[in-house]
Order: sequence, then structure tokens, then C-alpha cells
Amino acid sequence: MRNMFADAPRTTLTAFYWAFLLYLLLPLTLMMAMSFKDANFVAFPIGDWTLDWYAKVMQDKQFLEACLYSVMIAAASTLAATTLGTWIAMLIVAEGIKGQVIIFALACLPAVVPGMISAISLRIFISTIDMPTGTAAIILGHTVHAVPFVVVMALTRLRSMPGNLVDAARDLGADSVVAFFRVTLPYLKPALVGGMIFCVLLSIDDFVRTFFLGGYRPTLPMLIFAKVQGGMSPEINAMATLVLVVTAAVGLYAEYLTRRARTR
Amino acid sequence: MQPVVQFDNVTKSYGKHVAVENLNLSIEAGKFVTLLGPSGCGKSTSLRMLGGFEMPNSGRILLGGKDVTRVPPNKRNVNIVFQDYALFPHMSVAKNIAFGLELKGLDNQQIHRRVSELLELVQLQDYAKRLPSELSGGQRQRVALMRALAPDPDVLLLDEPLSALDAKLRQQMQIELKSIQEKTGKTFMFVTHDQEEALTMSDTIVVMNKGKIEQMGDPNTLYGRPGSVFVANFIGETNLLRSTVVGTEGDTTALNWNGVTIKAAQGGLAPKAGDHLYVVLRPEAIHCSADEPTSGNRIKGKVRQRVFKGNHTSLSVEVADGAVLNALVHPSDVAQLNGEDIWVGWKPETTTVIPDRHAHN
Ligand SMILES: Nc1ncnc2c1ncn2[C@@H]1O[C@H](COP(=O)(O)OP(=O)(O)OP(=O)(O)O)[C@@H](O)[C@H]1O
Ligand SMILES: [Mg+2]
Repeated sequence: MRNMFADAPRTTLTAFYWAFLLYLLLPLTLMMAMSFKDANFVAFPIGDWTLDWYAKVMQDKQFLEACLYSVMIAAASTLAATTLGTWIAMLIVAEGIKGQVIIFALACLPAVVPGMISAISLRIFISTIDMPTGTAAIILGHTVHAVPFVVVMALTRLRSMPGNLVDAARDLGADSVVAFFRVTLPYLKPALVGGMIFCVLLSIDDFVRTFFLGGYRPTLPMLIFAKVQGGMSPEINAMATLVLVVTAAVGLYAEYLTRRARTR
Repeated sequence: MQPVVQFDNVTKSYGKHVAVENLNLSIEAGKFVTLLGPSGCGKSTSLRMLGGFEMPNSGRILLGGKDVTRVPPNKRNVNIVFQDYALFPHMSVAKNIAFGLELKGLDNQQIHRRVSELLELVQLQDYAKRLPSELSGGQRQRVALMRALAPDPDVLLLDEPLSALDAKLRQQMQIELKSIQEKTGKTFMFVTHDQEEALTMSDTIVVMNKGKIEQMGDPNTLYGRPGSVFVANFIGETNLLRSTVVGTEGDTTALNWNGVTIKAAQGGLAPKAGDHLYVVLRPEAIHCSADEPTSGNRIKGKVRQRVFKGNHTSLSVEVADGAVLNALVHPSDVAQLNGEDIWVGWKPETTTVIPDRHAHN
């Protein structure tokens, strides 16, 4: 006969596992469920189901504009962060440059500074250089935040790159610029694609920095925040659900890409 | 004729460590030249300097008579086959080979023609669209070779390109490399630490040791007439008999080796009585017999060890004063050598002598 006490640790572990999953998923599930509720307020029970809230969201000009604005900022800051991050990573692995450890530490700093501190310091910085709050300032802030992630991802890939690939390109007649664009960059591509997607998600998601640096035009998180202040409604749930689904899809795609690159 | 490659008193050091010291070397066009030497003797450094990847501290490097010492790699008409091939992993076989051609500014049609021609040369026509990761080691090797040959370099540099292959494939590639070299008429500068490889393929072998050239010559000369103890030991197996000159008659020298008198050809050394010399005696030059040979050098000895090696048997024979000679015996001769006591003999003209440098300085 099996002793039920012998199984106790296992059972407990399994129970914890399910409890943890529930804890992770319950709020999200609730949020999604409420977005289909046919009533004006967020509470149980859900009597009737509807897609009206989604229809409303899709026609909400403010929402669409905020989406577009967020995407624009994400695209700009991703482009800037990827370029900068790749360049810094190349500097760090380059031969004959001193202080590479310091460059690396400085490049990684924005990733570990608390968002609040980073936001305040950025705000002080832009007012010091007389830069107005608004789009440019937000892009700057998001770029600074995203660079460390690009640097780390690009560095990891660069360090695994056989040293003589570039030598081979140079040997076959490429100058250092051609060698970079035709050999190093394609080699980095999987890491950079992953890094870029990560940058986009970071930017879309960012609230604190945007809040400190933004002007009057709201990004998506700011718009949702404003709406929540005005009272919960299933429309907000629908918005959040849409954002969740899109970002999750993008995130999973990024994961798929990096996995495929790793098996190559 | 103008040599394609000239190293003119080239020295390269890393910090205090001198990797290549006063290298003087001229290479004739169309030759298969091998730099041979133990690990760390400066072979790769020499090759990388010729490729433009290292700058000499002093001296000049000339390509086709032009000083290229300060010319960057992409402006030199030499190409390297790297030890680990360094194929571009994101490009197909055809793209890899086309890389150098595109940068030379050839048009698409010319590129296509040249790539197919080269793929045909190594029977890889069907692999043009594959990625390097989808090829075997030998195939990668061939693609790397063709990629380097494609832009039609003055000299092709090969840095131990066969060392990643297994023994069988390696032998096959040695023959293939040599035949490609002959077909294309290119100058090949090949680096290896494997003396057998060097003997198999080269027109000229340059033996290097500690950043300097020890000896240079065709394989026959290096094997048959090594100029130093280092070369004798490095190329092939050998018995080195440290002997004292007793006297000379004509062009043969009489020497005393461990109390035994032996004769050897002088090899242009003009030795005097009392000089110390090394006699280089290759194992296959020794003839073992049960009865005393009638001519040449002969010593009585005892067989200490027999090692069967398939196409021959290797004997260790103890002769005078505990000295041991290694000899190769043909399978048909082994049967008559079953006893312990045998005679070893060799003809004086099959040996060569090397001065004992340490005795002089
Ligand atoms: N970048 C470098 N920095 C410092 N020392 C170096 C460097 N490259 C080579 N050396 C040194 O120079 C010497 C010659 O090196 P090289 O690579 O030419 O040897 P090699 O003959 O090719 O040896 P192997 O057969 O092992 O490849 C070695 O002692 C090596 O340690
Ligand atoms: Mg080497």
C-alpha cells in the first residue's frame, strides 16, 4: 500500500504550482472576462456577454491616436537604441580600445537604475539642455532605457562570433565598413531582431519615464491611466486585453526567433 | 625571374617575445611552398604578415616586387584559407565563393560563370545553394579553398587547412590540394606542423624553428641531407650518432662512434680530426642480417625490441656500449632474424653528417 505521507512533499509542490499559476493568471483572466460583459460597470456576476466594448474601442479616436503615438515612439527609440547599442557592443569587443569594462558598466547602468530615479534624472537632464518635454524627450528616455538590453544581446552574439570571419572578409577585399555590413551585421541579426522586439515592448509598456518626460499627447499607458482615473469600465478592460494579446504575440514571436537562431 | 613573395629581413615581436626574427625568404611563382615547424615557431605569424593582418616591427614584405608592408589586407592580391575555414555562416556556398568576386567588381554573369567553374573543379556543383552548416568537413574545406582561389590571387596562403580533418580525409585532401595547385598553376604557401604532410605536397619546404629559418629545400634534400640536428629530428625518424672524427680519406670521413669506427660521406664539411659530428642514419638505410655483411659499415648487436607495423617491422638493436639503433626490416627479411644476435650494416653514402654546433660554441 502506498503511504500517503511519502507523497506529501510532491503533493505540496504540485499544489503550490497550481496556486502560483492561478495567482499569475487570475487577474488577467478576470480582466479579459470583464471586457466581454454587457453592462457599464466592472463587477460580478457577468450576466450577458457582448463584443460591443471592442467595437467601441476600435472606434475610439483617442485610443487609436494613442496607439499610433506609442508605436511611433517605440519605432524611433528602438531604431536609436539598436544603432547605439550595436555600436557600443562593437566598441567593447574591438581590439586596442582602453576602458572597455567602464564602457560596458556605463552602458548597462540604465537597466539597473530604478525607473523613478531614471525618470527624474532624465527630466532634470532635458531641462538642463533646454529640451522641451514631449515626443523627442520621450524617445530620448526610452532609448536610454533600452540601450543596455541591446548591448548585452549584441555582445553575447559577438562574443560567439569566430574571430576570423571579419579577417576572411577583409582578406577577400572588403574594407572595414563593407565587412561590418556584409558579415558582422548579418551574423548579429538574430540577436538584434530579438533585441529590437524587446525594445519595442519596453517602450510601449513604459509609464514612469513617459509620465515625467511627456507633453500633452498621451501614449497608450498614459491614456489608459487617465481613463482608469475616471472610473473603471469594461471599455478599459477591452483596451488592456487588446494590448495584452498583441504584446504577447510579439513577445512569443521574438522568443521563437531567438530559439531558431540558437539552433542554427 | 622575379620572385612573387619576398620577406626582406622581417622581424615581428609581441612585447618582449620575438615571434619571427630576421626572416629572409623568396618564393618563386607557381611553387608549392610549405612552412614547417613546431607549434609556436612563427609560421602563422609569417603568413598573417603576408596577408596583411600583422604589421612587422621591421623589414619589408614584397609581393611581385612591390613593397606591401603597409598595405591593408583588402588591397593585397593574396588570399588565405583559414584553419577553421571561416566560411560566412549566413551565405550559401555559391555566395561565399562569389564574395571576393563581387568586391572585385565583376558583373553577375562573370561571377556566375567563375563560381560554377570553381564548384566543378571540386565536384560541388550540386551544393551551391547549401549553407556551410549543411556541409561535411571535407566539403567545407573545399569551399574555403575555392572562395580563396576565386579572386585569382597572386599567392594562396593556407594555414593548417587540413588539421581539422580525420586522417583518411586528410590524405585524400593532400592529394587533391596538390592537384589543384598543379591545375591552376598558383603559388601556394602552406603552413603545417606535420612533416609528412609537408613531404607529400611541397616543392619547397621551409623548416622554421623559434622564429627563424632552420633550412630550406626540396623534400628530398631535407630528408636526405638535413642541415641541422633540429631538421634531422623534425623530419622523419632518425638515428643520430654523435661521433668524433678520426681522419679523412678522399671524400669519406672515418669516425669513432662509441668505440666503433664508422665511415661517412663528408657532405662538404671538411672536418678535421678531433671534431665532433653527428651522423644521420635513417632507419630504412640500415640493413639487418644474421651474417656479417661484406662491405660498408657493420656492427654486431642484440635485438632488444621488435614492433610489428604491418608493412615492416621496427627493430631496436643494442650495439656498442648500450647505444641503440632503430632499423626498419622488410617482412620477408624478418624470418631470418629470429635470434638475438644480428649484424646491422649500412652504406656510408646513405648517411650524411651534421656539425655539432654545441661543441663549437
Ligand atoms: N597576438 C599575439 N599576441 C602575443 N603573442 C602572440 C600573438 N600571436 C602569436 N604570438 C606568439 O608568437 C609566437 C608565434 O606564433 P604563431 O602563431 O606564428 O605560431 P605557429 O608557428 O603558427 O604555431 P602553431 O603551429 O601552434 O599554429 C608564439 O609564441 C605565440 O605565442
Ligand atoms: Mg599557427
